[in-house]
Amino acid sequence: MVYIFLGIISLLVFFAVISDNVSIGGSVGNVMRNAPHIITIYTTVLTVFGLLIATAFYNNAALRDHNNNFNEILFSTPLSKPGYFFGRFLGALLMATVPMLGVFIGVFIGTFLAPIFGWIDAERYGPFFLETFINNYFLFILPNMFIAGSIIYALANRFKSTVISFVGAMIFIVGYIVSGTLLSDIDNETIAALTDPFGVRAYSVYSKYFTPAERNMLSPGFDGLLLWNRLLWIGVGLIFLLLSYFTFSFREKNKKVKAGNIEEFKDNNTFKLPVLNTAFGRATEWLQFKSFFKINFLSIIKSVTFKILFAFSAIILIANLAGGYEYFGLQSYPVTYKIIDTVSGASGIFIVIILVFFSGELIWRDRDNKINEVVDATPHTSFVSLIAKALSLVTVTTILYFFFIICGVLYQLGNGFTAIDLSVYIKDFFMNDFVVYLTWSGLMILVQVLVNNKYIGYFVSILLIFVWDIGLLIADIQSNMLSIGGGPSTSYSDMNGFGPGLTGSLWFNGYWMLFGIISLLIAGALSNRGMGNSLAKRFKIAKKQIPNSYKVVLAATVIIFSALAGYVYYNTQVLNPYRTGDELEELSAEYEKKYKKYENATHPKITDAKYFVDIFPNKRDVYAKTELQLVNKSTEAIDSLHFNIDRDWNPKFKIPNATLSFEDKELGYLIYTLKDAMQPGDTMQVEIKTEYITKGFKNNRGNTNIVKNGTFLNNFEILPSMGYSEGREISGKNDRKKYDLPPKKRMPALEANCSDNCMANYLTNGTSDYINIESIVSTSSDQIAVAPGSLIKKWEKDGRNYFNYKLDTPSQHFYSFISAKFEVAKREWNGVDIEVYYDRQHGVNVENMIDAVERSLIYYSENFGPYMHKQCRIIEFPRYASFAQAFPGTMPYSEAIGFIINLEDETENNVVDAVIAHEMAHQWWAHQVVGANMQGGTLLSESFSEYSSLMTMKSISKTPMKMREFLKYDHERYLRGRSGELEKELPIYKVENQQYIHYGKGSVILYALQDYIGEDSVNIAMKSFLEEFRYKAPPYPTSLDFIRHLEPRVPDSLNYLIKDWIKEITLYDNRLKEASFKKLDNGKYEVSMSIEAYKMKADSLGNENKTAIDDWIDIGVFADSDEKELIYEKRVRIDQEKMDFTFQVDSLPVKAAIDPRRILVDRVYKDNVRVLQEK
Amino acid sequence: MSTLKISNLNKTYPNGVIALDDVTIEIENGMFGLLGPNGAGKSSLMRTLATLQEADSGTAFLDDLNILQQPVELREVLGYLPQEFGVYPRITASQLLDHMAILKGITKSSERKEIVKYLLDKVNLYDKRNKSVKGFSGGMKQRVGIAQALIGNPQLIIVDEPTAGLDPGERNRFYNLLADVGKEVIVILSTHIVDDVRELCTQMAIMNLGKIVYQGAPQNAIDELQGKVYQRIVSREELQDYASEYSIISNKMVSGQPLIHIFSDTDPSNGFEPVKPNLEDVFFSKINTSNVLV
Repeated sequence: MVYIFLGIISLLVFFAVISDNVSIGGSVGNVMRNAPHIITIYTTVLTVFGLLIATAFYNNAALRDHNNNFNEILFSTPLSKPGYFFGRFLGALLMATVPMLGVFIGVFIGTFLAPIFGWIDAERYGPFFLETFINNYFLFILPNMFIAGSIIYALANRFKSTVISFVGAMIFIVGYIVSGTLLSDIDNETIAALTDPFGVRAYSVYSKYFTPAERNMLSPGFDGLLLWNRLLWIGVGLIFLLLSYFTFSFREKNKKVKAGNIEEFKDNNTFKLPVLNTAFGRATEWLQFKSFFKINFLSIIKSVTFKILFAFSAIILIANLAGGYEYFGLQSYPVTYKIIDTVSGASGIFIVIILVFFSGELIWRDRDNKINEVVDATPHTSFVSLIAKALSLVTVTTILYFFFIICGVLYQLGNGFTAIDLSVYIKDFFMNDFVVYLTWSGLMILVQVLVNNKYIGYFVSILLIFVWDIGLLIADIQSNMLSIGGGPSTSYSDMNGFGPGLTGSLWFNGYWMLFGIISLLIAGALSNRGMGNSLAKRFKIAKKQIPNSYKVVLAATVIIFSALAGYVYYNTQVLNPYRTGDELEELSAEYEKKYKKYENATHPKITDAKYFVDIFPNKRDVYAKTELQLVNKSTEAIDSLHFNIDRDWNPKFKIPNATLSFEDKELGYLIYTLKDAMQPGDTMQVEIKTEYITKGFKNNRGNTNIVKNGTFLNNFEILPSMGYSEGREISGKNDRKKYDLPPKKRMPALEANCSDNCMANYLTNGTSDYINIESIVSTSSDQIAVAPGSLIKKWEKDGRNYFNYKLDTPSQHFYSFISAKFEVAKREWNGVDIEVYYDRQHGVNVENMIDAVERSLIYYSENFGPYMHKQCRIIEFPRYASFAQAFPGTMPYSEAIGFIINLEDETENNVVDAVIAHEMAHQWWAHQVVGANMQGGTLLSESFSEYSSLMTMKSISKTPMKMREFLKYDHERYLRGRSGELEKELPIYKVENQQYIHYGKGSVILYALQDYIGEDSVNIAMKSFLEEFRYKAPPYPTSLDFIRHLEPRVPDSLNYLIKDWIKEITLYDNRLKEASFKKLDNGKYEVSMSIEAYKMKADSLGNENKTAIDDWIDIGVFADSDEKELIYEKRVRIDQEKMDFTFQVDSLPVKAAIDPRRILVDRVYKDNVRVLQEK
Repeated sequence: MSTLKISNLNKTYPNGVIALDDVTIEIENGMFGLLGPNGAGKSSLMRTLATLQEADSGTAFLDDLNILQQPVELREVLGYLPQEFGVYPRITASQLLDHMAILKGITKSSERKEIVKYLLDKVNLYDKRNKSVKGFSGGMKQRVGIAQALIGNPQLIIVDEPTAGLDPGERNRFYNLLADVGKEVIVILSTHIVDDVRELCTQMAIMNLGKIVYQGAPQNAIDELQGKVYQRIVSREELQDYASEYSIISNKMVSGQPLIHIFSDTDPSNGFEPVKPNLEDVFFSKINTSNVLV
């Protein structure tokens, strides 16, 4: 058995090492495939699975003699207690660690073989470090097996029950899951790291900021949280083991004798044999069904296993609910769909276990209890018994689920949330869960009947659940008709109900329900009645014995099922064909190979656009006509126009004097040749008609942008793009190799004083500059359609609403169309209309949102320049995406992120405001000035907006410490992001659209900069930069242009900041080693601090090198342990790595810190702060 | 009056064991004893009759009802207690019997209540009717098994080793009960306890190695042996010698000394004395045809 497990784990790891398709605990990324970090992840994750192996071993060790009734013989021999007790334990411990060594074996063999057979390049494998294996063994494998073992061994010795032992194992899993939940909130990291008995979470916290280079080099060490976690749990294990040892005895416990077993003769009643009327027919079958159902149902809910599973899932549910719905330090309202997600999450795995376990249990119950012969010899049809079993399974799981829903509803009420629509729960259950239960119950019962061995049956069931879908994935089959219980997702949105997947989901549900019923019918025909017969034999018996009526029902069901399957197939494959992941990848490769040659072809630019968009929400159809004015702004003649076609939108072109000279329908590439080439400066009018018609239903949810309530489209969807589209290229380094594509070109390198290479900005990529846009949008009579620009005219025609919008100032060609049933809130600010379009259920935060917009308008127009639009709109869209986006004067904002966040107690800055402020800032940074399509481009829009947003936050912060709360998310984003970097980390002024850099680092660096050189100085630099480039024709500016404006604002003493922070990657490692204070006679306190400060320069792979420090860094003192009241702060010059400071403060100091407001990038901030000791 | 006709029934298990070897029996109303040592094929025969097992060839008819082809119909008139009878955990005796009554087609709940009470009383478990069956002793479970076999209006009752685990008092109660119902229906009782058959059955068959080696009334079989069975007490050392010299039917210990029964057409003298044959002698003489020490 040991070797089988060893083999399985070796194989698993082997495949993970040699194949991109298999991953354990997340993808490998650009780290070496055998990096110490990866090996550690494999080890930690697999010890979780190893737990089940360990449980079997320990349970066996404790119970073997007992179960074989050998104990009475053995224990009467002169055997010493410690020898027996610990001998068994240590034996099992050693055995349990052996399978885990498969991780190492798999890694070794994989690393050795993969390059030889050419599965994966040798360059993806690095050296091995002995330390990795030793430390992993002693940090994870041995301790985990010890900890789990000691508890399971103790339980097994105490209770002598395999079930209880496995319950013990489940406690670990629950601990693991709960700690995972805790981990999602960064404030709980330490607790999460300590509560996970396996140390997996501790390791993820321990290694979360590891850079790729460190992942390749560093093995887990015996230090930090990891060590504490290990010590804690080993201690727990030891306690259990010792407790068990002292209560262990060779002597049998006295068996309880039940008094009831003593017979009493009391025979006062006399009974007569009644006249019996037996009847066999439909009514009897119904009665038999009920009786079977009752017995099966009771047997499940009364079983210990069920109670345990129930308890565990309830614990997880409660733990999850108690954690609430945290969102960047705020709580989301417990809206129904969130509760549904939580309930599904908590119940999911347990319901699967219940279905698997009890399907076997129910099928084998009669045989296990040796009552099968009696029951089988009674006149009932097997199908009645089976369907009773299936339905009792479904009923039990349903009850479990509804119990959870009740918990969820109580939670909602307990939180004062009363906008509960119970029907959503019920509908969601029947749509998403009930069908799954039914399908799986039927299927698993069939499996048990066919396989005719309980444990092989379990094995096959588990294979079906977990391996089947992986198999489909490998075979590149995406049809939900083959993914058992599959169908389009119908995640609920307050705005748009169950959404575009609803119809498809209902049909798929019918399909799977019938599948489950057919499974049951087949199982009923083939079920083993009486003595065990081979499957072939049972087929023969079935042929002979199955009544015709049964055959008719089966045939009829199969016919209906086939018809349904045909209809689903027609809709999902014929009417709405789709391409699988592999097909899409292939097409991308082909596209690149064929059309890369056109990459540098010159195209005219769009200078004017007029959209006519008709949205039909109920049919989910959109018809669009776009009139474009094209101008040849280049210096050469243009003889053809290239377009990329999206089949779904079926575009039709009206291009004067042009012929379609090339058409590739498969890849969607068109070339129109112009009869007369466009000369530089020439203008041309083009009309493009597109339409999106929704037909039937799709294999997946379908288009979530065109929906019944909350359609949200942009110009990139409606219009075919012009010219070779680099975005379609495959980006993965290794995927590109597979198709023999050269390494992907990186973003153009940053150039000083560039002209030719700066003619395109990164948003519109050369297809347009600042243009005029007008639109006429129509929608159904109950909806409002919104597009950027002032509403010039609004009218009704043919029962539809028409809106005419026109931009007041030329803008980026970045345009949106939204239509939904909206409530509208308005406020005017200095001639600007602030408007929020929201769903009527989501009005609670609207006033806050308007405040945030107004605050942004005030700060930005004061500091950066005027707002250029006459309106400022926030428009809600359904939760199929969760972002906000800035179109000219218009901000679509997802229902999932701002509208349902609880702001009742928020008086100061919060993330909802921050998102609004960020998007508002884009009206300056991106819409008024935008970077060239070149390294550093997003610094000028995303970093600037993030910085601007922080500054509006700061403007209303009451204490300086409040901003630290806020900045921690930006620090986290940057530090975590860089550890997951797939290519290379660049200094911020060369950022290549890397989000962790332009959002995370950008905001941290710019915020620190204003703290060092002053808010005004930074703002003035930004403003003068904006003034130079506002709405200016190309060439577009680069980050160097901004630095040119910034440099004069930086005093000489701080000049190093531009180099360190902006042009290089610099990290600090500051530590407060000692801190003490003493009370002086004058009533003041003298504080002494010993600090260590190191400055590191990182290269693009995350290799860090210490560099001499000569920096200004803050030191400070808090008057409280919560670090809220900063009573002393001083910026000091630190030019040595170890320094001491002494100063006086007026009131009692509690904590001291270096960099108390967390301005600098420091991977470990915790060691910057210490409680002061009184001397 | 119904008749169970079994003709040329054969069954060979996949592992080559011949369970039924051309079995032909005819059984009428009343108690029919099926004697045989362990592994003789008794249970195979009974399971086949209880529709739980297919036969390779042969037929079995209960009157006009083809048992092997019409299992559903047979189950409607069958009462069956298998050799191994277990119970569901966490369910009381009445619940279990009520469930069985439903399965046997008693649709009226009042009738079910009556019959369950009646039978529980008959098997002396009425006081325990609301106790979980799982906690019952082996004998009590067996009684529940007996009760369930009698539910309904069975025309054919098959009981496989029913008295295993019952104390003598219970055994008597059971036989009385069986004799009560057995007057009007066919009861097949398999056992390896010779006394059971002698006390209860008017007809019997002896099975060995899948074959019916004797069929008829118990008394007839005993009569056949009249004057041909002799016994003597021998010393343990001599046992082997006697075994090779005489046709030993059986040996058992009496006061620590082997008492052997032998079969002989003539008086063997040599210290042997004639004994009145009993059914046990019949049993052993039929199955111990090679006359080896058993």
